[in-house]
Amino acid sequence: MKHLVYLIIGIAVTLLFFILSCTDGFNIWEVMYFNQGFNDKMFNLNVYPVIAAITILVAWGGAGIYYYAINSVKFDRWYHWLAVLGAVAVLAPVICYIYNDTVFADNGLMYVGESIQFEMQTVLFAALLYVVASYSMRWWSSNCRHTPLPQ
Amino acid sequence: MRRLPILLMSMMLVACLAACGGHGKLEKAVRSVLVSGDTTKAAYDSLCSLVTENPGKYADLLTPEGRVDHKKMSEYIKGIGSHLRPPMLWDTRAYGGVEDLSLTIYFERSGSMVPYDQRGGGGQLKKAVNDIINHFPAGSKVEINIVNDGIYPYQHSVDEFLQDRDIYQSTSGIGDASYTDFQLIFNKILEAQRPGNVSVLVSDLIYSPQDTHGVSLDKIFNEENSLATRVFARYKGKSVVVQQFMGDYSGKYYPYNGVPFNYSGKRPFYLVIIADSDVMDLLAQDKRYSGVLDAPAVRNQYRFNQETSEVECRVLPEWKDNAGRFRVKHGDGIVLAKCDGDRQTGKLCFSLAANLGGLMKDDALLTNPANYDVKSVDGYTLTVQPIDRSMLTANNKEYLEGMTHIFTLVGDLKSPRDEVHITLRNELPAWIHQSSSMDDASTGSSFATTTLGLEQLLGGMFDAMKGGSSFFDVTIQLQR
Repeated sequence: MKHLVYLIIGIAVTLLFFILSCTDGFNIWEVMYFNQGFNDKMFNLNVYPVIAAITILVAWGGAGIYYYAINSVKFDRWYHWLAVLGAVAVLAPVICYIYNDTVFADNGLMYVGESIQFEMQTVLFAALLYVVASYSMRWWSSNCRHTPLPQ
Repeated sequence: MRRLPILLMSMMLVACLAACGGHGKLEKAVRSVLVSGDTTKAAYDSLCSLVTENPGKYADLLTPEGRVDHKKMSEYIKGIGSHLRPPMLWDTRAYGGVEDLSLTIYFERSGSMVPYDQRGGGGQLKKAVNDIINHFPAGSKVEINIVNDGIYPYQHSVDEFLQDRDIYQSTSGIGDASYTDFQLIFNKILEAQRPGNVSVLVSDLIYSPQDTHGVSLDKIFNEENSLATRVFARYKGKSVVVQQFMGDYSGKYYPYNGVPFNYSGKRPFYLVIIADSDVMDLLAQDKRYSGVLDAPAVRNQYRFNQETSEVECRVLPEWKDNAGRFRVKHGDGIVLAKCDGDRQTGKLCFSLAANLGGLMKDDALLTNPANYDVKSVDGYTLTVQPIDRSMLTANNKEYLEGMTHIFTLVGDLKSPRDEVHITLRNELPAWIHQSSSMDDASTGSSFATTTLGLEQLLGGMFDAMKGGSSFFDVTIQLQR
């Protein structure tokens, strides 16, 4: 039951992240980085929800792969888990940047510098969501349930 | 129980993906159109195609017969536009199956008009009339009348009119060319006007009634002023645009008090465009009629009976003149939050792009800060400049596309909260006074650019149809 509570909390946090990625008044993507022209275009072109979904997919997907696909005693140490976190933290911003850049290019916009700075946030969000996803789903993994910290 | 975690995770992923894709193709397309500024009929038609191609998905935007419900479509687009940053307006009413407008030309054929269309002249008068006919979409109903002491139908086809190289010769003998009865003409035009009709009087706007022997000019001017007020006050809901052109004049001029004399040179002439106010709004906004109210040869123009309009304004977050810092707060009205003065000067300078095209005012009026009232606690000052295409870049296009002018406001940021009110006063424009003369007995220095009693005639119309006290009001809230 306790594990199910972890999962529900993890899902709630993730959904909250997604909802706060779609709102106008307070948008989680505008807290740490804000450039009026750039962020207005991100909002108008509906980029925020998509990059939030990409980040969630990569983070939860990474955790899912680690706990259920890799799921091996050979890879059950904390640094194996950390390596996957590193991969998630690189992959998510790269995919988001490519998507972001494609949408901007389709609309004839040029915000290369701003996009790179903006995607630094994705590194952080992807890593945090990976931790959330790990603590949500690790309990049902047959070989890696004690990674990263045994509980 | 073992499958519950997988079920919960799957539900979350589906919810996120559905939320991303739930906006649908139509919303994406509308956003793209608004952001790119491609607010044309072609873009609107492509959106309508999306709706008709997916009748199941967009049933709420269709009529029971399966056609696009343009009213609902307009509201749908307005809803999306209002949630953008900055909120964007796209008035699509013009594309919503509005019937084509009809055009009626009233071509003045008085003695003093004949020299405007001599074979040796530049033909500006005829060109101005031909242009207005040609700028109406093909297939529009066009009627032509000859006016002087009365209104007489032109007996030939529109094509013949367009090709006629000597219109006054071919219409000689129609009516009494020795005087022009404006009271009768305006009354007849306004009485005859049906919904969707645009009437255009082509005239030199010189009031020359019958039997004025021994009557003083002042008396004539007062009569002219009163008749204009009387006629137009009776027809509520009409809007009038007076356009001034310059044309070659070669021939006899008949002054009010004096001996007729020959004159060769430039003289002003006018198109008086009369329509219902909503039709005039349509003429100003609908690209199908572009060229009707914004013909390049127009020297000056003024729209009578104009209520205070809602002008679309967008704060420019990235602009060369900006100084200090601010953050545009999204929601109702224009709010600049977290304002901070420039580190060196302490001043806050911000710019707004505004669409003043619908006001139909000349640049001289719109770009002169003296015509505006600017009120604020910290004494902000205003400069106005027109937008030209060279200012557009990929990144600022979203803010400048569809806009006509940039307002730049500068002030010392002292108060924690301030409100800047900008108002463009509705006054008879200076060009009307400058283009009016009190005496036309000789070809003095201003004869080429002035019309006898113009101010009295148009002043009378102004009194009858003043509309709002301002053309528009904009309020910007500043918060530190």
